[in-house]
Amino acid sequence: MTLVEDFRLLEKHGFKLIPYEIAQSEEETIKAAEKLKYPVAIKIISPEIEHKSDSGGVKVDLRSEEALKVAYREMIQRNASKKIDGVLVQKMARKGMELIIGGKKDAQFGHMLVLGLGGIYVEIFKDVSARICPVETKDVEEMIAELKSHPLLEGARGKKPINKKELEKLVVRASQFMQREDIKEMDLNPVICDERGCDIIDARFRK
Amino acid sequence: MKKIVKNLTNIFKPKSVAIIGASPTPNKIGNVILRNFIDNKFEGKIIPVNPKHDNISDLRCYSSVTEVPGKIDCVIIATPAETVPQIIEECCRRKVGGIVILSGGFEEVGRMELAQKIKELATASEIPVIGPNCLGVYNPYTKVDSIFLPGYKLQRPKPGSIAFISQSGAVGSTVMDLSAHYGLGISKFISYGNATVLDESDYLEFLLNDKETEAIILYLEGAKEGRKLLETMKKVNKTKPIIALKAGKGAGAQAAAKSHTGNIAGAYMAYQAAFKQAKVIEAGGINELFNFVKIFNQPKAKGRRVGVITNGGGIGVLTADAIEAEGLELAQFSDATKAELKKILPAYGNVGNPLDLVADADVNGYDKSIAAMMNDPNIDVLVVIVLLQTPPVDERVIHVLSKYVDERKKPIITISIGGAYTEAYRKILESKGVPSYNSEKAAIKALERFVTYGKYQESIRKSE
Repeated sequence: MTLVEDFRLLEKHGFKLIPYEIAQSEEETIKAAEKLKYPVAIKIISPEIEHKSDSGGVKVDLRSEEALKVAYREMIQRNASKKIDGVLVQKMARKGMELIIGGKKDAQFGHMLVLGLGGIYVEIFKDVSARICPVETKDVEEMIAELKSHPLLEGARGKKPINKKELEKLVVRASQFMQREDIKEMDLNPVICDERGCDIIDARFRK
Repeated sequence: MKKIVKNLTNIFKPKSVAIIGASPTPNKIGNVILRNFIDNKFEGKIIPVNPKHDNISDLRCYSSVTEVPGKIDCVIIATPAETVPQIIEECCRRKVGGIVILSGGFEEVGRMELAQKIKELATASEIPVIGPNCLGVYNPYTKVDSIFLPGYKLQRPKPGSIAFISQSGAVGSTVMDLSAHYGLGISKFISYGNATVLDESDYLEFLLNDKETEAIILYLEGAKEGRKLLETMKKVNKTKPIIALKAGKGAGAQAAAKSHTGNIAGAYMAYQAAFKQAKVIEAGGINELFNFVKIFNQPKAKGRRVGVITNGGGIGVLTADAIEAEGLELAQFSDATKAELKKILPAYGNVGNPLDLVADADVNGYDKSIAAMMNDPNIDVLVVIVLLQTPPVDERVIHVLSKYVDERKKPIITISIGGAYTEAYRKILESKGVPSYNSEKAAIKALERFVTYGKYQESIRKSE
């Protein structure tokens, strides 16, 4: 499935993604950014790129047309050898904790859901907690408490705690989504959470 | 409970047992099992079955189950795999109560058709079948014992309240041997091998209703049906604690997974998730299984506040560290307790928690300080450190500890760390039902699991 199809399916299931546009050229990228209002982030859409940030495929916090142009050209140039389907232009996300909401269909237990520290740290810290679907609100409460990063979510070092209610709703929705669409593997990563709510920045799954 | 599961009673409490493949030759499987029943003075009828003999050990031997007169409650099969389907068919015709198949050579070597045949026959007749490819069962209450490892090599545990379900025979027998060594009582032992007819969930369900079982150890390699296991664990663990050990924790994740989740979430993570959802206590190894299970003979803890008594300052501090690390609390003694303890301590002693009785503490000091803590409403559980190396501590401390354990007022665990002398004493404590640990960390970890489980049970009771 392509990124666009993934995003559309998530929206169909009531997930609110961070505002985005798909662009096919530099011109379209600039138009999209104007529509979304700066600052924006751009991400490469390519079936050949597994981890976008490893290959210069993600440029964030672009605050002007000028900055956007530079970033766009750099990104396209660096990935010139790859098949490029377009560019995802997103409104810059809120600052907050980067989490992952993942899912997998296990051979024995069926659909399971994973919540953890997200972004680029997923595979380094492996700070995750899992439950078998269906996952209910009280399960999510326990999952959050089990994370080593738990104090960060509770607002360590003078930061405000994240909006746990919103995160709980999102995880429960992800669990329902896994089962209803019979998803084999899923990553909502990163999901950025702060005291107000959560933004889904990137998503991919395999049916 | 399904009828076929309920019928397991026929295997655990039989009036008659037929041993297929019984043999007069020492050390043959069919001989070891027959001797188990004879030597342990099984009270029911023992029926050897083997077409090659008329008599074994002064017992009439039959050529097949079809020739045995009267009711047969339990059949134990120890003959080659290819002979088994035929025997099962005869057992079904004879309407036997239940069957244990010890023989290997089925699914584990790819002979699915043999296994399938057994499953069809047994399911149709609602005859419970344990195995194949297993050690079978042991019930110390009725002396049913299909374990083909001789008693002088593998000690059998005494009757007790812990049930043990093991997929593996080797792990099962090791745990049995250790249980016997430490004097830990067993209610039922089930080594179920291939789980062809009944699986781990069925055994859990059976044990939920077994009066002699109060806690269950579950050793798993792979579940037969994950979802069924999760639901059954949830149900059973509400009433009886399950302590699980899962083997095969390797990543198991697909190396080629396309997602982060696929990379980090291996098969073991699903088991971990299921254990957590069912509030099942997961042990990290065989030793930890013992550490965790032996505390469950104690009365329920009302909370997390721990009172510590010690005759060695250092071990007391280490224990306090472990209490903090595991998220338990050091209790604040009530004024009455403080006053009482002041009378017990020598003039230079300080009333604190841990309460340091210092090295010249004698048995009387333990007796009085335990009594004071038992009466203190601010203390939920007691940890008693007894360093047996000090001159004034002698065997009377065992009587004091077991006296308070028998009163069942509050949970007590003990910590004694030392060499051969200490280990000998620990064994006696264990045999008297006093949970004893030779490591403060292991003790407090077990205590935390016990307290957390108690809290879980309390929360269910309140919500129901």
